[in-house]
Amino acid sequence: MSAALQNLVNQPYKHGFVTDIESEIAPKGLNEDTIRLISSKKNEPEWLLDFRLNAYRKWLTMSEPDWQNVHYPKIDFQEISYYAAPKPKEKLASMDEVDPELLRTFEKLGVPMHERAALAGVAVDVVFDSVSVATTYKEKLSEVGIIFCSISEALQEYPELVKQYLGTVVPVGDNFFAALNSAVFTDGSFCFIPKGVKCPMDLSTYFRINTEGSGQFERTLVIAEEGASVSYLEGCTAPQFDTNQLHAAVVELVALDNADIKYSTVQNWYAGDENGVGGIFNFVTKRGLAKGVNSRISWTQVETGSAITWKYPSCILRGDNSVGEFYSVALTNNLQQADTGTKMIHLGKNTRSTIISKGISAGKSNSSYRGLVRVAPGAQNARNFSQCDSMLVGDKCGAHTFPYIQVNNNTAKVEHEASTSKIGEDQLFYFAQRGIDAEEAVSMIVNGFCKEVFQQLPMEFAVEATKLLSFKLEGSVG
Amino acid sequence: MNALANIDYLSSLLQTLSTQNPGDFPKDLLPENNFPWLKQLRTQAIDQAGQFKWPTTRDEEWRFTDISPLSTLTFKPAQPGNSPALADVSPFFIEEANNRLVFVDGFFTPELSNVNHKNQLVVGNLAELATSHSDVIEHHLGQHFKSQKNLFSALNTAFLKDCAVIIAPQNTVITQPVHILYIATQAETTHYPRCLVVGQTNSQATVIEDYIALQKPANSSYITNSVAEFSLAANAQIRHFRIQRENSSAFHLANCAVSLDYASRYQAVSVTLGASISRYNLDIGLRAEAAECIIDGLALISSDQLADTHTCIDHLQPNCVSHQQHKCIADEGAHAVFNGKIIVRPDAQRTDSSQSSRNLLLSNQAKIDAKPQLEIFADDVKCAHGATVGQLDNEEIFYLKSRGIPELTARNLLTYAFGAEILNRISIASLKHTLEQIVLNQTQHH
Repeated sequence: MSAALQNLVNQPYKHGFVTDIESEIAPKGLNEDTIRLISSKKNEPEWLLDFRLNAYRKWLTMSEPDWQNVHYPKIDFQEISYYAAPKPKEKLASMDEVDPELLRTFEKLGVPMHERAALAGVAVDVVFDSVSVATTYKEKLSEVGIIFCSISEALQEYPELVKQYLGTVVPVGDNFFAALNSAVFTDGSFCFIPKGVKCPMDLSTYFRINTEGSGQFERTLVIAEEGASVSYLEGCTAPQFDTNQLHAAVVELVALDNADIKYSTVQNWYAGDENGVGGIFNFVTKRGLAKGVNSRISWTQVETGSAITWKYPSCILRGDNSVGEFYSVALTNNLQQADTGTKMIHLGKNTRSTIISKGISAGKSNSSYRGLVRVAPGAQNARNFSQCDSMLVGDKCGAHTFPYIQVNNNTAKVEHEASTSKIGEDQLFYFAQRGIDAEEAVSMIVNGFCKEVFQQLPMEFAVEATKLLSFKLEGSVG
Repeated sequence: MNALANIDYLSSLLQTLSTQNPGDFPKDLLPENNFPWLKQLRTQAIDQAGQFKWPTTRDEEWRFTDISPLSTLTFKPAQPGNSPALADVSPFFIEEANNRLVFVDGFFTPELSNVNHKNQLVVGNLAELATSHSDVIEHHLGQHFKSQKNLFSALNTAFLKDCAVIIAPQNTVITQPVHILYIATQAETTHYPRCLVVGQTNSQATVIEDYIALQKPANSSYITNSVAEFSLAANAQIRHFRIQRENSSAFHLANCAVSLDYASRYQAVSVTLGASISRYNLDIGLRAEAAECIIDGLALISSDQLADTHTCIDHLQPNCVSHQQHKCIADEGAHAVFNGKIIVRPDAQRTDSSQSSRNLLLSNQAKIDAKPQLEIFADDVKCAHGATVGQLDNEEIFYLKSRGIPELTARNLLTYAFGAEILNRISIASLKHTLEQIVLNQTQHH
């Protein structure tokens, strides 16, 4: 490994500023009173408080998972503030009313929140710490009957709809972090695409953790009714703090007959510095239920941030002929650790799933792919193809693969393959011969390696992801 | 030990060990006073065994293999003295093997064995060789389980009464295989077969490990808890063929540890046919540069058998090579498990490793759990693994049908061919022929 290549992988975090806004923070600690406080602050219906308390009581009986291939200091759940809202929070009618300081933050991040910027065709729901700040393009969407708003708003305006689906894909006691989220989630996005509607634009949520010592627990619920389709984008950043912040989100997707949900994530939470100080602990439960026949759920993720990533976007393929897809790029550098992958649970007949996972490890980081493909006895003619490729940049990092294949039906066909490679001196030399410097060469090799995944991203995100990977890996040469 | 009190099998075993009641416990062929190292080895193992918890499906290593049926058994250790008739045993003899060690219920049986003293190979049982080769044995016996200590290997060492010992001295090339035949005869007992194979510098040898049952009454239940240790010095080459054909009520728990030195080569084929529940842990350490291992496996199971193969190939040094192919054929309600782990340590640059797990499900009640696993800490490596689960390819069946072969015959042929690929790696003609016949019979559907 040349010194030049070593230098390439170090790049300061570009989203690490703190926005100085007065925010309303709940006292640290978690007990039933905290939950009641959150619930009353948000003026929630009674059933939701019961939902939260039920989750909290389940959570108390659960223990933190320890099977993952990541190491971190024990999280003190009583040292976290479970509610942090930017203070001047009133009902916002237009973009002009949004706190200018906030707007500047998002401008720095390049979120197209202004009406002008939104001409790019993206409707954005922005979640700042735990509270949704503004949603653009709401009117245009409501014309076709699409509901796209923060989940708090949805709870006020469409409580029955939320009640019908909340917790149906990820039950309150699903896992330790999902239970915690169910108890204390403060905001998130809600999206409902009615029967037969093809969403005219990509929907987008932007998450940002701003307050030190706070956790972000957002909850996203996307429902596509019969024949509906939607493409949903999610982006995440956080400022630089020396302390670790916890992010425990839950995302639930429901696709009914012939519906199609495409969920794309670019995750660039603060990853800690080169010594592993600070950074986000990202423990996320994402799951899609392909409930109806011919439904399709597709996850695409580009994971470049977080000190710890623990995330397994999954598909439950219950409807006959349903399709699940998972495309992932996970880049880890310095002391980052990622344990990510997917679960494809084949329950219906003729269900198909595809898994393409690309892991890139640099510095002293470790990245693991952990996946499960399960074919239930009734899943006749189920089909799965999985491919997990790892690339190692430097000799101090690690790449791991833990695929679980469980087949209970002899008509199933399951294939898994994995490979490991590195950026070789000879490859860089080849580029150098053609007048391309090492920095650009690395970027091109990495982008080529990830091409199959980037192709799945919507245009704007693909551009962002490509840039993100390049600047995560680039640096001063020689 | 108290934590294990509710596990009948374990507590009865540990009780046997602690009380040393002469009636329960076989006569010691190896007086411990003469071999202080052996006493120490056993004492350590007894301590360890007491510390382990009984594995359940909540343990990652035992996630797919439920051995709770074992926990309620109170099988005593087998007693020496049983000797089946030569006529019953001779069909299992392998003509190419000019050395044969027969262990009945874990105890060496000279009248059925055939030890050839003419060639340079040191072959015998522990009781016989412990004095003459104590330095080599002491150096290796029980020393290769550093990375994979588990309850069953500890129990085997704790109950260590006898053991097959094969030492290939420096610069010797022995082409004829050594056949170790383990026969289980006593119903409702546990026996502890064990072997130690040492290949010294520049030596070559071939070992067949063969597990059979001659039970009276036929097909009664018993437990085999076996351990095999292979140590290869620089440039040594050992071939290891392992055939497990226990009866269909047996429980077979086996551990094998292989340690490879500079430029040594270990080639193994393991064939799993028998036992109600079987588990085989194969743990290979590539401990010096340029070491190489090629391991292949076939599990052919039906009815409600469970066959679990766990392998771990640990690349500790640069420039090592490992290739693995494992196949499972599961018919009726059988359940096959494969867990193959490959570790490439930080210094193990220029590792070349490949692994393939292919699984064939013949019935809709059969079940496969496969987990090929890579843990890589070095960047200049070539590592690939693949796993497939499925049924016979319709196009292949169509191809044969288009040539006038009836569908059933085509299916039988393809199933046989799937398994035969592994058997082709067996270089001993008569053994290969025997196994081919078994696979042929088991894969014929009518």
